[in-house]
Amino acid sequence: MHKIKVNKGHNINISGLSSREYSATENNKFVSITPLDFNYIKPKMLVKENEIVKMGDPIFFDKLNPEIKWPSIASGKISKIELGERRAIQKIIIEIDENEESKIEDSQINLSSREQIKEFISSKNMWPFITQRPFNKIVNPSDTPKCIIVSLVNSAPLSTDLSFTLDSQKDHIISALSNLRKLTDGKLYVATNKNEFSYLSSIDFIDLIEVDGPHPAGNIGVILNKIDPINSNEVVWTVKGFHLPILGKLFSKGYFDPSISINVSGPAVNPSYVKSRLGASFSSHKSSLIIDNVRVISGDVLTGKQVSLDGFLGFYHSMFSVIEESYERPFIGWLHPGGKSRYSIFNAYFGSNKKSFNFTTLQNGSNRAFVPIDAWEKVFPMDIHINALARSIEANDIDEMEQLGIYECDEEDVALCSFVCPSKSDVGSIIRKGLDTIYFDQ
Amino acid sequence: MNFLRKIFSETGKFVEKGKPLSWAYPLWEAADTIFFSTNKQTSSGPHIRDNMDIKRTMFFVVIALIPCYIFGAYNIGYLNSLALGVEKGIIGNTIFGLSYVLPILIITFIAGAICEITFAIVRKHEVNEGFLVSCALIPLTMPPDVPLWQVFVGTSFGIIIGKEIFGGVGTNIFNPALTSRAFMYFAFPTKISGDKVWAVGPDGYTGATALAVPANPAEYDTASNLYANISQFDYSNLNLFWGLIPGSIGETNKLLILLGAIFLIYCGIASWRIMVSCVIGLVFTAVLFNLLSMLTVQGILESGGTPNAMLTITPLQHILLGSFLFGTVFMATEPVTSSHTNTGRWIYGFLIGVLTVIIRSINPAYPEGVFLAILIMNMFAPLIDYYVVQSNIKMRLSRNAQ
Repeated sequence: MHKIKVNKGHNINISGLSSREYSATENNKFVSITPLDFNYIKPKMLVKENEIVKMGDPIFFDKLNPEIKWPSIASGKISKIELGERRAIQKIIIEIDENEESKIEDSQINLSSREQIKEFISSKNMWPFITQRPFNKIVNPSDTPKCIIVSLVNSAPLSTDLSFTLDSQKDHIISALSNLRKLTDGKLYVATNKNEFSYLSSIDFIDLIEVDGPHPAGNIGVILNKIDPINSNEVVWTVKGFHLPILGKLFSKGYFDPSISINVSGPAVNPSYVKSRLGASFSSHKSSLIIDNVRVISGDVLTGKQVSLDGFLGFYHSMFSVIEESYERPFIGWLHPGGKSRYSIFNAYFGSNKKSFNFTTLQNGSNRAFVPIDAWEKVFPMDIHINALARSIEANDIDEMEQLGIYECDEEDVALCSFVCPSKSDVGSIIRKGLDTIYFDQ
Repeated sequence: MNFLRKIFSETGKFVEKGKPLSWAYPLWEAADTIFFSTNKQTSSGPHIRDNMDIKRTMFFVVIALIPCYIFGAYNIGYLNSLALGVEKGIIGNTIFGLSYVLPILIITFIAGAICEITFAIVRKHEVNEGFLVSCALIPLTMPPDVPLWQVFVGTSFGIIIGKEIFGGVGTNIFNPALTSRAFMYFAFPTKISGDKVWAVGPDGYTGATALAVPANPAEYDTASNLYANISQFDYSNLNLFWGLIPGSIGETNKLLILLGAIFLIYCGIASWRIMVSCVIGLVFTAVLFNLLSMLTVQGILESGGTPNAMLTITPLQHILLGSFLFGTVFMATEPVTSSHTNTGRWIYGFLIGVLTVIIRSINPAYPEGVFLAILIMNMFAPLIDYYVVQSNIKMRLSRNAQ
């Protein structure tokens, strides 16, 4: 058992936290999967519009690595394939036919060796569930990772409380973990909050990590940086916590069950937990909006993607965040003394930051040249000089990026830096730009 | 408010892209966002942002300087009353001082704004609020009697050479305010150094600053004794702290500077590490020089030489003398030109303290060493950062090798 204490960071006190109970189940007619959720792939369709697909059937594959195929996340009809510029696939919408969704157990599964597990994952089109660091992309099945890490700590603002949503999934989680265990010669780390998932402590094949501290403490990048940093030429595999039951059911029972529990949270919505499914639509939650002019985000407010009111959940997301689209222009706002209408981790707004805050989409300042007043460092817990790293990325200096530890970082780890930055820089896209530079240079 | 909003909305149409006046957009944008916070929205990445922005960061430094302005004005009036032997009262003294301070301030801001806005228009970027801080700092480093045309030239030089030619705020190497000060010190030495400029009095009136006293003593004595024998001004430690002494406009009252420091540290704008390490470096070197003086003074006197009285200044006096505290709190902590790593900040500040005492004590030609010390360390800050970052790289490489 490792214990990690993260000191630097910040739990953004945003209003609209979902209480730990389920509201009525949503009624989904459509689900969607978008290739844009996956980095560095070239998707090619295997099905056409109006074709009937079965749950788990491959619907597109990666031209760069044909072994990687994406499963259909519902049984039904491919109702639409949205294309963007240069006929790039934007979105595949599937009309659900629930009568077709069967859960037939397969008793013939034999998963004893690593090769068998890999073959099984390929045959069930499950590789998209397993991603790697560095680069935050789908793994290359022929790799052997130095370790595998699963974080059951969602420390991002308002994010899904896994100890609640995965409450009754003990057997499936253990099934998933025991099979993942065989994919690496190294360790299988599982990170939890204190006193959560207590049954994991009795499992001998995992290395349990107890995480304590503010966001980004639950990010795997931060955890790895503390216990087992990624060096160059090393690869670490990871699985999203809320995907574990899906994998577990596949490994032990052989069928693909896309049901997940999600939460809809944020200042502009009546927050709730909902039994839902992969790629679900936001449309059935429109009635719970409190105000009209909102931004719906698939994922948390720090790293999520904006979607429309009829938009769909991203592949790696288990929540919708909803905040107000604000166009307000307060008079001499920068001279405002502070108080409850302002939120800042700096004391320069007196008396702010006490109760939960109704964040809006306002950037709260213009973009300016970067002035290093130690803002990023206040919320970045890794032993990396993030400022120097950002500059090496802007200078396109690949050697220095590697030396400064870019492989250990991902966009989500630096999201708080962008949140606090007085110059309103987007540190996440800088890191992504650096990773892209290295990836395409290889 | 709606009326003002309307004016900006209407005038905004003239500076849109493609319109003949579009070159003036940076000017319009600066005015617009001063009156009304920007309604710019987050696009991707974090969809919510902290309320802190550069406008507030920069403006809070200016707020921290306002007490220094008020006391500086009062002090000019007080010293003038002292020289003439009249009694003007607190308000009278302050108004008299303001008649010197305000013109300098206005000229500085005119010069600074012209440079900044011209560069913003030519380079097509938005006006950066950093120039407000530079322009607010420059008058405080000036003697009250400085000719206004020199202020104009000095400010322009500082903003252009110290900042704009390097690409503006965020990419400058030298602190623009100190660049101005250094330029004026070397370009117009008669108006910014010596003992005639620091207090406003009748023609030919001299008022040596406290630092000049042990630099050129008539006869060798320890600094403390020399100060005790000065009758023109009260150079006791207490009065050095309260600041009713000749000096640059903003540097004399140490209490207000310390309050400014606490304010900036509390707001998270200035680095306390730099301030603390500056003081540590200064105390360390001053103690060293005190010891050196104690060991050598007898021998030098016996051999007929003149010992350096500057070496006998105690650490506390060094802190209270001249513009050390002012420079430490407001100049050395300038985030762009100082070190960017926390380890680097300790080294950077420590060396400023060391260099300050060395320049003050060893070289009697420059009794005030703070601004030179900070400028020199501005130059070395990237080098310090380089070595701090290298140690991180070495750590990572050794981990790789395992």
